[in-house]
Amino acid sequence: MKTKIAFYRKKLNITQEELAELVGVTRQTILVLEQGKYNPSLLLAHKITRALKQRKIEDVFKI
Amino acid sequence: MKNRQEKNRKKNLILRYSLATLLIISGIVLSYLKLGNEFLGFSSVGLWLIYVGFVMLAVISLQILSKKKRIVDERMEFIAAKASRITFMGIIIFAFIIMVIDGIKPIDFAYSYFMSYFICGIVLLYAISYKILLRSN
Repeated sequence: MKTKIAFYRKKLNITQEELAELVGVTRQTILVLEQGKYNPSLLLAHKITRALKQRKIEDVFKI
Repeated sequence: MKNRQEKNRKKNLILRYSLATLLIISGIVLSYLKLGNEFLGFSSVGLWLIYVGFVMLAVISLQILSKKKRIVDERMEFIAAKASRITFMGIIIFAFIIMVIDGIKPIDFAYSYFMSYFICGIVLLYAISYKILLRSN
């Protein structure tokens, strides 16, 4: 799954560690999500979208 | 959400403490009644239960005292489930191999040793598969 996590994260000027803390996961999970190696649950996708200050999940995650 | 997690954590702690206490009490009872001496190669079941109970108590107390907060996210749970499946498959394959070897040449091995090695093997297989999956997934 392609994601725009890294793009929005850099736009907000936050590190992977900070984003991980915001959504309650480990830094490694953010790393694999950014690489598109792991498909998150709907709940985690929602949390990440909110943390990145986006409205739609589709804006951050693309199938 | 956090409140629920805290409640679950407390419930889990109470359960673990109760289990450790139960082990110690059953160990004391078995030792007092002199039951389970010379059981399947173990010198005394009661003493072993007391020992395991105390180790369990020490581990739980250390976990409470350590301030480091452990994060267990959904990816780790997913990988743990995958590692469990691999371990289960490993057990089945191992049991099949043992059956075949026993058919060719009967295995004469103390049950206590076999169980000790078997449990160590399961733990090792789980730990290795978990670590590998954590890196590759």
